[in-house]
Formats: sequence, C-alpha cells, structure tokens
Amino acid sequence: RTLALKMAPLRRSSTLRLTGLLCLSFLVFFSRGFASHDVVSEKSSGTIQEDSHSQANSTAHKKTFPVLSFNYEHVRTPFEISLWILLALFMKLGFHIIPTVSHIVPESCLLIFVGLLVGGIIKATGEQPPVLDSNLFFLYLLPPIILDAGYFLPMRSFTENIGTILMFAVVGTLWNVFFIGGMMYAVCQIDAAELAHVDLLSCLLFGSIISAVDPVSVLAVFEEIHINELLHILVFGESLLNDAVTVVLYHLFKEFAHEQTITVTGAILGVISFFVVSLGGVMVGVIYGIVGAFTSRFTSYSRVIEPLFVFLYSYMAYLSAEIFHLSGIMSLIACGVIMRPYVEANISHKSYTTVKYFLKMWSSVSDTLIFIFLGVSTVAGPHTWNWIFVIFTVIFCLVSRVLGVIGLTAFINKFRIVKLTKKDQFIIAYGGLRGAIAFSLGFLLDNDEIKNLFLTAIITVIFFTVFVQGMTIRPLVELLAVKKKKESKESINEEIHTQFLDHLLTGIEDICGHYGHHHWKDKLNRFNKTYVKRWLIAGERSTEPQLISFYNKMELKQAMMMVESGSAAKLPTIVSTVSIRNVPTKGAPKPSRAISKSREEEIRRLLRANLQKTRQRLRSYSRYELLNDPLEDNISEARFRKQREMERRVMTEPLEIEPKCNKGVYQTVRGLSILHQNRFRTH
Amino acid sequence: MGSRASRLLREEEIEEIKKETGFSHSQITRLYSRFTSLDKGENGTLSREDFQRIPELAINPLGDRIINAFFPEGEDQVNFRGFMRTLAHFRPIEDNEKNKNPSATEPLNSRTNKLLFAFRLYDLDRDDKISRDELLQVLRMMVGVNISDEQLGSIADRTIQEADTNGDSCISFNEFIKASFVVNIHICTVVLVLVNI
Repeated sequence: RTLALKMAPLRRSSTLRLTGLLCLSFLVFFSRGFASHDVVSEKSSGTIQEDSHSQANSTAHKKTFPVLSFNYEHVRTPFEISLWILLALFMKLGFHIIPTVSHIVPESCLLIFVGLLVGGIIKATGEQPPVLDSNLFFLYLLPPIILDAGYFLPMRSFTENIGTILMFAVVGTLWNVFFIGGMMYAVCQIDAAELAHVDLLSCLLFGSIISAVDPVSVLAVFEEIHINELLHILVFGESLLNDAVTVVLYHLFKEFAHEQTITVTGAILGVISFFVVSLGGVMVGVIYGIVGAFTSRFTSYSRVIEPLFVFLYSYMAYLSAEIFHLSGIMSLIACGVIMRPYVEANISHKSYTTVKYFLKMWSSVSDTLIFIFLGVSTVAGPHTWNWIFVIFTVIFCLVSRVLGVIGLTAFINKFRIVKLTKKDQFIIAYGGLRGAIAFSLGFLLDNDEIKNLFLTAIITVIFFTVFVQGMTIRPLVELLAVKKKKESKESINEEIHTQFLDHLLTGIEDICGHYGHHHWKDKLNRFNKTYVKRWLIAGERSTEPQLISFYNKMELKQAMMMVESGSAAKLPTIVSTVSIRNVPTKGAPKPSRAISKSREEEIRRLLRANLQKTRQRLRSYSRYELLNDPLEDNISEARFRKQREMERRVMTEPLEIEPKCNKGVYQTVRGLSILHQNRFRTH
Repeated sequence: MGSRASRLLREEEIEEIKKETGFSHSQITRLYSRFTSLDKGENGTLSREDFQRIPELAINPLGDRIINAFFPEGEDQVNFRGFMRTLAHFRPIEDNEKNKNPSATEPLNSRTNKLLFAFRLYDLDRDDKISRDELLQVLRMMVGVNISDEQLGSIADRTIQEADTNGDSCISFNEFIKASFVVNIHICTVVLVLVNI
C-alpha cells in the first residue's frame, strides 16, 4: 500500500505533465492548421491547374480515377471555425483538469494567455494571425452571452434595484466618459507626450469607448467569486444597461469628430437619441417577446422545434434593433425577460432543459472564444505604444470609476432602503471591468493613425482590468469578508412568505394612500393575470396561480433528484390524491387504505386478463403505461392523466358505444377502462 | 376650515407620537391628513367599514386580516395613536437606533417585531402556533378557488414539513423566523418611503 501511495503523487505529476504536453501539442497543431491553410490552398489550386492542363493536353489520354483525392478549399471555412471552437473547448477542459492554476487565476486570464500563445505561434510561422473582426463579435459571439444572461436574470432583485442600476449605468457612464475624455485631452496637451494631434473630440470618443463596463468580463470574473446577489446584480445590471449610453455617445462623438464641430442642436439630438435608443431597443425586445410567447402557445403540436423559437425570436430581436442602431443588448434582454414566464408555462420540460443547456453551452463557447481572440488580436494588431497615453488612461479609468461610484452612492443611499456600505462600494468600483466590447468598438474606428494609439491603450486597460483586477478580486473579497451568495435551497416557505408579504405591503400602502413600489407591482400583476396570461399561455395553465406552478416545479425537481440519486424511498407529497402524511391536529383517524386480500386478487386477475387480450392492439396506447415511466416529460401530461382517470371512472358506467363498432373494440375499451380504474385504485 | 370639524393635531401629540413610533414630523402630519380623509364619521376614530371603503383593499386577499390587525383585541374603533402604532411596524430599520437606548424596549419597527406582526396575521387564534388549518386558510385566500383542497393540502403539508423542527406539525414563531430567513431581507425593505413634501 505504501508503494501505491508513493506511486500516486508520481502518477499525478506525470498526468499533469502529460496533460500539459498534450495541450501544448494541440496548440501547435491548431496554429499550424490555421497558418498552413494558405500553403495548402496554393497546393490545391496548383493541382487543379495541373489537372485542367493535363486534360487540355491529352484529351485522348484516359485519366485514372482518383481513389483518394485532396480538396481542402471547399471545406476550409467551416473546418477552421470548428478548429477554433475545438481549441476553445480543449482549453476550457484543460483548465479544469489542472486545478491548481485555475484556483488562483480566473479563467478569462488563462484564455487570453492562450490566445497570446496561439497568436505568437502563428506570427512566428510568418503568417498573419486573424484579428477579432467586429462583425463576427457583435453578430455571432456577443448575442449568446447576453441572451443567456438576460433569460436567467433574477427579476426580483433586478426590479428592486432598478433605480440604483440605472443611476450607475447612465449617470456613472456619462461621468466616466466626460472625465476620462477631458483628462486625456489635458494629458495630450503636454508637450512631452507628442500627442498634440489628438483633439478634444477624439479624446471624448476614446472616453466613450473605454468607459463602459463590459458584461462579458464581469460575468466571467464574478461568476467565480460567488458574491452576494445584491452586488452581483448591481454590477452586472449596470454592465447590461450602459449599452444604450455607449451606443449613443459612440455614434454621437463619431459624427462630431467627422464634422469637427459640436453644435447645440447636435447635443440636444444626442439626448433625444439616448431615449430613442434605449426605449426603442426595449420596445423591439418586448414586441418580439410577446410574439414569441404567443407562438409558444401553439407549439404543443411539434415539441421538438420549441427551443428554436426561443433562440430565433431573441436573435431576431437583437438583429432588428441593430438595424436601426438601437441598443441590441437591451432589446435582447427585454425579449428574454418578457418571453420567459409565458414560454416556460407552455413548453415541455424537455424543451425547457434544452433551452437552458443550449444557452449555457453557447454562451460558454462564445465567452471562451472571445477571450482567446482577444489574446490573438493583441499579438496581431499594429500597435502604437505611447507610454504617457497608456499609463494615464489606466490611471484615469481607475480614478474616475472610484470617484463616480463614491459620488453616486452618496446620492443613491438617500433613497435606498438597504444602504450600500463602503465594502459594497469598493467591490462595485473594483468590479468595473472592461472587455471585448471596448476593443471591438475601437476596432470600428477608421482613422488609422489615432486608431492604433487608441487600440493599444484599450487593450492595455482590458489586460489590466482582467488580469490585475480579475486576479486580485477573489482574495480581496475574502479579505474584506464580503457576504457571499447564500446557498439557499428553493423552499415553498419562502415563496409563500414572499407572496404573503407582498400582499401585506400592498395593503398597507393602500391604507396610507401611498402609491409606491408595491402598489404598482400589484397592479401589474393583476393586469398580467387577467389579460396577458389568457392570451399567451395555452390551455388551463393560464389560470394557474403562481404558487401552484412553483409548487409543481419543485415537486418535479424533487422527483428527478430522487430518481437520479437512485432512491425511491421517501416520497412525502408526490402522492396525488390522498395525502398519506395527513396528521391532523385533533387526532382524527387516518384514512384507511387497506384493500382486502380477495379484492386484490380479483383486481390482479382482471389486470392480467385484460393486459393479455389488448397487448397487440394497444401499442399506440403505450403512453398509458404509466407505472413504468414515472418521469413524464411534461407535468401537464400528469394532469392529463388525472383528468383521464376521472373520465374513465365515469365511463365504466354503462358504455354507450355505437353498435357499429365491433365487439373487439368494445372489449378493448372496456378492458382499458377497468384497467385504469383498478390501476389508480391500487396506486 | 368651515363645516369639516377636523381636529388639528397638537404639537405635544405630534411629539409623543414621534417618540413612540419614530416617524418624522412631516410623515405624521401627512398620515394624519390621510386618517382624517378616511374618517367619514368625523369622530376621530376609524371603524372597520372605514377601512373597507378603500377599494384596493377589497381585492387584496389579505385585506380583512390587515384591517383586523389595526384593531386591538375586541375593539371596534381605532384612534390615530393606534393607527400610527400599527403603521410604525413598517418603518425602515435604522441601525443607529440600536445604539441610542439599549435598555429601552425594542422599537416597534425592529426586525423581530416586524416578523411578529406578520406571524400574527397567520395565527388568528393567537396560540403562538400556525396550525395546518390556519395555513390552509391563508393559502386558500392567496390562491383563489380553482385549486382543489387536496392539492392545497399537500402544499400545506410540505410547508409545515419544511419548517417544522420539533415535530409538532405546527409552525412556532422561532421556526417561522428560521424558515423565512431569506425573506428577512424583504422584511428589511418593508417600508413606506414617505417623501417629505
């Protein structure tokens, strides 16, 4: 045994070494793959030319039939895309197999590092590494992440803190833009910097690109530190909602920089444009969300395509908003939020799982790819390094963020019920990470000479925030003893009390004549229940109270867990009709479930007889083989069953079947009804 | 002003109410004007009918219980002091209050008192326990008429099973606090942000 123990650490280190070697070899292989395509394409085009040449020359000469030919060109693009995605997945896997590193360094840092490596290898072979194309980023890589975030946004904490979030998103970002832009302009005036060619408008444009907090980076880092829900929703909500401000300011300053003048009308139009962009984006999202919810009402006819509806409607919402230069992110979030409660009531359980896991999968892949590409682009892009510009950018980003957070919190705390403490403020300020959105926006600039300068600074800030802040935030959270996320199980108690309190507070507000938060929320809920749900949810679920759907969901989850853990032992409340654990306070006698032995034997006989007779005919009724499959994929099917059981009970009274039906059918149906009646009795 | 015999609130009364409940001056005056507007009989007290006249309260599932909470045991009228005393439960918790007077009785809006208020709304017979029947009644009020008794019963059973730690199949106040510990956060946000006009 001691020998085995000695072997174990040796084996582990050798496994690590092996894994590391594997990763490295994969890296080299993949980068060679990307780099060598040019060589291969030349070769293949050469072969094609040769072929035609030889054909033209010797038409009479019979060409030997190519048993094995090589044509890389026509699969090149999908092949390369798949290679990139595979690389991302292997990296993700690799980091989790090697636990020591991922404990200290957040995943995003490691991925950027990998990207740097890959870019370096590609460059070393003399090829031009691919750059993160803005189109690719905004149209394909960003939407899955945002949709995943928006669809699973915790609505309650979001709406409770919406005021704070909006303040940080709008006012905070504006402050950042003007502070950074102004200060950088001041820096550019210093003679030593040789930056006199950067004018005020360009600086403000730069400010608008660099000041937005990035949702991808925030998600990547915050997810690993498991911070309490309030801080998470504040920083994350801010990163989502500041998209509108960023879009407006970016286009505004780009226009101004083009014209080289600022006009008052321009400024006013800018303010109006902000409202149009944000509210317009939300409206587009809401429209698509409602249409999506309405569509899901009818998808019971074809369950397999249900998840696709969710994805496509949301993606279309994003794209439609982008057509009009509205805020695509807000549109996507609005669509997901609106669609979710109705779609979840309509789609089957399997589709719900599919939606959930596809979203997680896509956003995970996107996230990984973004960081890798960021690393590759750093190696690739032309850089104009200017010490003063870059260093001051980093400094001012930090300073403006801290000042902004402190100033805003002092103002917001007057209106907040749960005040933000100094620790909270620190985490909010420290969590202002910049990411790939800033890079992509910078990439879209067209002036070459300033563009490289800006890009270098942007990349430096991104690296600084992701590496330095990303790595140190976890120990800081531990050090400051910031409240972590409560590992609270979903409980029916909580749901009941929450609803109870909502009603209570609404009542108190009405007594005081105060139209506050609860009053309007109650009105919205009532409107939702009477009108909207009826239109958007199919069947009888439209009248189902929230408490019941919550309870059903919980029961389903418990049943799944029970089966997964392999124990069907304790099932307190899954019995449908009679509550076995009915322990009344007055000590009333338990309802008797005992069936006499003879009756049981009779039932068994009946079952056996009917089963044998109807086995062949009943293949289409195999759905009713209930006891073999306790996990129906749809809770409504359980209800359907219950209904059917009631119907069958009624039907076993004189069966009025048309004499046209042959006896066989009559017997089958009768036997089936007895089967069901008895099955449910012996439950 | 004219025929409206509305009594003006005297300064000493405002001071007393302020000390007892912790509301600010402007909040007290605002709530007093609301009190008088509800008081149709103009006798300085509110009866149950006065409360029931509020339209939103009629559609609130807990409307009757909330109204009952304002009236002390066995009485049918509540004056302004009693009105304010009940409303004081819903003021935000201020941490610096704790340090001021450690020997004094707990302020009405402390976390425990808030939870006690909510608990009493469940526990009608005041035996300091929420029995299965009381829970069923509350569930029935919140859920409406379309749900079968059995389903409601199983929900009630599960609720008690989750919260009950001493096995008496009732929820005592301590179990109530523990079961709703996450909801404690929401208790903290039980507040009326009465803007100082």
